[in-house]
Amino acid sequence: MNYLYDGSFEGFLTCVYEHYYTERADGIFPEGAYQLDMTVRAMSVLSDEVKVQKVSGAIVSKISKYDMERIYRVFRTNEPDKEMKLLRYIVLGFGVARSGRNGGSIRLLHGNQTVLDVQKAEQRIGFEVHRLCGLIRFSAVRVDHPSQFVATQSGSGNKGGVVESGMMVAHGGNEILYARIDPDNDVLEFLAEHFSDRYKRNPFIIHDTKRGKALVSFNREWFITDFSSGDLLVDTDSEQDYQRLWKLYHEIMATKERTNPKCQKNFMPVRYWKNLTELQTFNLG
Amino acid sequence: MLNICFVWCRILTNVRFLFVGVVMNDAVFRKLTLLGEGAKYDVSCSSSGTARVNMGNIGSASCAGICHSWTADGRCVSLLKVLLSNDCLYDCKYCVNRRSANVERCTFEPEELADLTIEFYKRNYIEGLFLSSAVFGSPDHTAEQMLRCLYILREVYGFYGYIHAKVIPGVSPELLSALGLVSDRLSVNIELPSEKSLDLLAPQKKPKAIFAPMRQITQTQTEQKTLKSAGNMARLRPEGLNVSIGDGSLDDARALMAKNFSNIGNEVRVQTTSLPDIRRKYKEKFAPAGQTTQMIVGASPESDMQIIKMSEALYRKFSMKRVYYSAYIPVTDAPELPSRLAPPPLKREHRLYQADWLLRFYGYTAGEIFTDDEPNLDYDLDPKVIWALRNLKYFPIEINRASEEELLRIPGIGNVSVYRIMRQRKIASVKYDDLKRMGVVLKRAKYFLTCSGKYFGNCGFDPVSIRAALAGPEGAQLSLFDVRNSQNELSL
Repeated sequence: MNYLYDGSFEGFLTCVYEHYYTERADGIFPEGAYQLDMTVRAMSVLSDEVKVQKVSGAIVSKISKYDMERIYRVFRTNEPDKEMKLLRYIVLGFGVARSGRNGGSIRLLHGNQTVLDVQKAEQRIGFEVHRLCGLIRFSAVRVDHPSQFVATQSGSGNKGGVVESGMMVAHGGNEILYARIDPDNDVLEFLAEHFSDRYKRNPFIIHDTKRGKALVSFNREWFITDFSSGDLLVDTDSEQDYQRLWKLYHEIMATKERTNPKCQKNFMPVRYWKNLTELQTFNLG
Repeated sequence: MLNICFVWCRILTNVRFLFVGVVMNDAVFRKLTLLGEGAKYDVSCSSSGTARVNMGNIGSASCAGICHSWTADGRCVSLLKVLLSNDCLYDCKYCVNRRSANVERCTFEPEELADLTIEFYKRNYIEGLFLSSAVFGSPDHTAEQMLRCLYILREVYGFYGYIHAKVIPGVSPELLSALGLVSDRLSVNIELPSEKSLDLLAPQKKPKAIFAPMRQITQTQTEQKTLKSAGNMARLRPEGLNVSIGDGSLDDARALMAKNFSNIGNEVRVQTTSLPDIRRKYKEKFAPAGQTTQMIVGASPESDMQIIKMSEALYRKFSMKRVYYSAYIPVTDAPELPSRLAPPPLKREHRLYQADWLLRFYGYTAGEIFTDDEPNLDYDLDPKVIWALRNLKYFPIEINRASEEELLRIPGIGNVSVYRIMRQRKIASVKYDDLKRMGVVLKRAKYFLTCSGKYFGNCGFDPVSIRAALAGPEGAQLSLFDVRNSQNELSL
């Protein structure tokens, strides 16, 4: 049986439930990405709160809380066929637990392909998060017409309640830090704590242009929301000067005698360059 | 003797409490060019060793450190590495800013640099400030100006990010003490591995002025019980491997220091009892990320063995976090120095770093890495392979039985692989096929291990055969700089 779900984490956990209680899963696909396969039956699965609770409760008690978080992190990656890789990991954990041993011990099996798949995907998203902690570039911007600027809470956040967009704009005396990113994985919420702590007095927006959403934070609170109004933001007066200054600094810090572009690209893959201030071409005045 | 309160009063009363950005003009661009250019030969780049959340207005620190960009030479930009001034009193022969060099001189105002740091930090360009300086006025005057800049950052801006401050040789203990309280990491550059070279190339820098601050930093950290040894040195005891540990003890470190540097000064005692508020604010934490130093490679005639033995002594005696190696880039024509046309010895620097890692993370001693017949590192193979070939009697090592220390001696196996092997061994045996999935580099490792009793090397078990296999097309090590290829081309 191929299971099709809505792409949410809850939907995926419901598929895990169906795998155990309805029929073995041959594949799990987000609905939009599914290519009709005549040889395997397919079924759409709707997220079901009770089934989600049952599966997540079983993972926490029979495998471990750590592995539940790990499964969530891997679910946020762009790993091909991540659903089946995770399902195999969960099945392995339940199997070990059924044999009377600690299900959480599966993460010690570094030589096992199923564990390796999950470990690698987790490493990749962890690495990208770490990388972006350094590679994100903010511009100091202001909002020309606050009334048109929409950033309301719709997704997850670290504080309950609805946050009005106007509050955020007013808070920083109109200066906001704004950054564009285009990451491989869905990393926004893993960046939230780091940046909202570091810039707790500076309101900021990190805009994931690939997924059309943004991390919005001010006053140490944050939330993730759909977002597309980056164009309404304009640079503050001195912004260009600091960008030129940074680009200049970046250039002079390279030692001519040691030039090694391969090494540079190894650490900083070219796909990140388009959002890096220091690698843009603009008039150095 | 200066009273510490007095120092602080002098610095505090002069601070202008202004929250305006840098006045942008050509002068700022000019200064950043000259003072960044002058600082880049200091290769220390890390922002690691301390973790803290934002208790001030802006900034935090991550224990692993964060790199923010990489320049065209492939090195990372983490901190805003900059000189406060390049107007130097000294005339060190290897330095771009030596007194006799014809360069434009300038100095940042402490306020100006603090503003710039915050503006860069706010945009996430940098992880903090690495503040160094030429000696202008006097070592104490320089340190006071640096301290003032750092004080503005910490107190006026509430900056909680990373600060690395360079200690000017010859600075008074009181100022160093104050500097340590606003900085995360301190460093004093030893620059050259012996007194003879130091006399020849940096006549105004005296060993005593270099070692006294190093010792004071270590002492203060010992008093505060914050001193941590470098890497895994304290954990990995080479005795466990039952090999000759050679000279690696603290006494040997002292003897080596005394041999290379006749006058390294006496113990310093500093009164740290009268610091004002700032002491309470930073919870008496003095340089929580420890100290580092740097040695220039290739400007003086010392062998690799002398350099690495010096590093080992520094690690053992002062518990340095790191010793950095900087391949000398000729900036001047002087009879004492390599020609301006000589390329920087990058391969040698690379091998030195590998040997340094063996000291800090793999439990080797300098006495093991070198023999008297081979005082320099091999160009073709890394020092860990060389040690293994020289000590084949300890190999092959059985993956499923060996201790952590033994596993670490197998070429192609690093700390991460060892961690994974030890973990899996708790619940299952490790098969040969598992090793690759664990990150082991089998093309090197297979000659030196057995897995459940089976040996996987495909040549004779003797140094000559293994060396030939490792140097062959399959075993050739990834070369960072393709030195061998370019030599081959030349010989054609």
